[in-house]
Amino acid sequence: MTGDILILCAAGMLVTAYLLVGQKALFTAIRLFGVQSLFLGLVAATIAVASGRHALLVTAALTVALKTVLIPWFLMRTIDRIGIHREIEPVLNVPVSLLVCVGLTVVGYRVSTGFPEGASGVSHHLIGVALSMLFIGLFVMVTRKKAITQILALLTVENAVFLVAVGVTSGMPLVVELGISFDVILAVLILGVLVHRIVDRFESMDVSRLSKLKG
Amino acid sequence: MVNLLIATLLLPLLTAAAGVVDLPRKVKDALMLGGLAATFALCLAVARRFLSGAMPGALGEALRVDGLSALVLVLSGFVGLLAATYGAGYLHRNEARGLVTPRMRREFYGLLPGYVFAMLLVAMSNNLGVMWIAVELTTLVSVFFVTFHDRDTSLEAAWKFLVLGSLGLGFALLGTVLLFAAGQGHLGEGMPALNWTRFMQAAPALHPFTLRLGVVFALIGYGTKAGLAPMHTWKPDAYREAPSPAVVLMAVGMLNGALYCILRIHLISRAALGPGFSSGLLLLLGLLSVLIAVPFIVIQWNLKRLLAYSSIEHVGIMAVGVGLGAEAAVFGALLHMTYHSIAKPLGLLSAGTLAQLHSSSDFSRIGSGSFTRAPIASALFVLAALMLTGCPPFGLFFSEMMILRAGLIGPHVTATAIFLAALVVLFCGFALQVGRIVLGPPRDRAERRVPFPERLDLGTATTIGAAVLAVVSGLYLPAPLLSLIRAATGVVWGAP
Repeated sequence: MTGDILILCAAGMLVTAYLLVGQKALFTAIRLFGVQSLFLGLVAATIAVASGRHALLVTAALTVALKTVLIPWFLMRTIDRIGIHREIEPVLNVPVSLLVCVGLTVVGYRVSTGFPEGASGVSHHLIGVALSMLFIGLFVMVTRKKAITQILALLTVENAVFLVAVGVTSGMPLVVELGISFDVILAVLILGVLVHRIVDRFESMDVSRLSKLKG
Repeated sequence: MVNLLIATLLLPLLTAAAGVVDLPRKVKDALMLGGLAATFALCLAVARRFLSGAMPGALGEALRVDGLSALVLVLSGFVGLLAATYGAGYLHRNEARGLVTPRMRREFYGLLPGYVFAMLLVAMSNNLGVMWIAVELTTLVSVFFVTFHDRDTSLEAAWKFLVLGSLGLGFALLGTVLLFAAGQGHLGEGMPALNWTRFMQAAPALHPFTLRLGVVFALIGYGTKAGLAPMHTWKPDAYREAPSPAVVLMAVGMLNGALYCILRIHLISRAALGPGFSSGLLLLLGLLSVLIAVPFIVIQWNLKRLLAYSSIEHVGIMAVGVGLGAEAAVFGALLHMTYHSIAKPLGLLSAGTLAQLHSSSDFSRIGSGSFTRAPIASALFVLAALMLTGCPPFGLFFSEMMILRAGLIGPHVTATAIFLAALVVLFCGFALQVGRIVLGPPRDRAERRVPFPERLDLGTATTIGAAVLAVVSGLYLPAPLLSLIRAATGVVWGAP
């Protein structure tokens, strides 16, 4: 039962990552990221209840509070203020991007077979999904141009790392976890402020315009 | 009695807090310089306690000082004080031209000691989680430095810096998590489970595949912060945009800190997987960094970017030294780190003065014959260039020779030969660029003078002080510092 829930949630995270690749409306992309983080919180909560490690419940609550509520709210407010709602045509079109992502998922699952838990069981899926999401996040980062999309890609990578943390280890020590969350939220806040200033200056949040510095 | 390590961390933090408060300029200067001078003194005290016997850790061994930590700690404290002293002078110069807003003043006096705090925290962290958090802190503080002057290009540099830095740190975090996963069941419970010392004890039991993956991610992640190629691209942009005193912190503090993290990961990998794996990776990344610096130094168009590529070269040299896998080369690499921490600030401070006098660090704005306009800064910059390109009789020459010698008698002769060739070309490229701005006649009459002539102010005095230190240290290295470098070599090489 626990295993089924975990696999379902992990699958949900992977699906949201794929939807994020195919999505051009920025609001929807942000909501997708929120849903993805909700799944991550569910994974942590399920493991916490099933194995009796109550410190993980704090992780789950923190994940949902920060990444499902606070960060999406902040990002939505940012794009509301600057009034840019759509991603422009990506370097690779959506069908090709999705195909590449399928390939990345295969690679992620292949790498996950090397872990001690082996190529079976729940943790195989958790690691496989996490590595796939990591690669997909990197892929989105290099193919998309809007600053907000890049932030979302960065956060997807962060979620992948946390999925490995709760899926493979017994959870990072709580103090370290709190410190990491604090740093992540600070980084997002600063990135948000930078987006504001970039839009003010360049009247666009297309980061490919940031190309004066070379050599 | 308050633990010495905690006191060393608290002092710069309090200085940072005091820096944000609005006070008269002289009081602020006195507070920052006094606070950071006392911090440096505490760093020296920590190193002394370490050399005279056991130095107790703190917070459940999350903070711990061994030879490597003590060396990085002393260098960080030194650089913090140097940056603050020059920084006060730098701000006065800009104030005289009405360029300083209250926001800048608050940010500067608050962020500089804050950065020193994060650097020191990196250097004394024994817990891999705390180490990560501290490195992320240095990144977040640096962003404000990069956007300090609020130009169009600052935003571009800051964006690239933060995105690439966050990505690198995401990798480093994944690496840390994977290392932790590799030791499941052998590391114990709670906060101390992430302690480096626990990893070293449990090394033979770590799961090899997970560990290998973790080491790769962590080396790439922290390598991004250190500026190893091909993850170096943020460096030239950030150096050009940030004010020179802050660049000193990045070029020495962040570089040493990131190298410290890399060495810790390398040591876990070596203890668990044997010497070949991470040494090979470091050798490759180091060699690539030295090689990539060559073309960009030859075609460079900006003074501070030139120094950024020089930084990439030097971190490459240190990585090669560690990667060659010989005790003499490791000693050479750590000696290189020490001399680089003394010579690089001299280069950055004199270049900073040149840039400030010309209101730009672009070669096109500085023009040729800067010697006729700013003789002191130009002469000191030439001196720094000689040091940074490894000319005798300065320190970096000896450390580079040591690494080269160890490389040529070791198994990596081809790699060492390529490395040597790159160093020679780099010397020529650097000499060409320096000659272009310093020597020769000014292009026209208007260029004979700068709007703000050079004066013997606090900034210039600090630069001269740094030059004296850099020259003297090449000829005579104090015995305690040498013992620290030996102790650090003992940590990195194994048996002390």
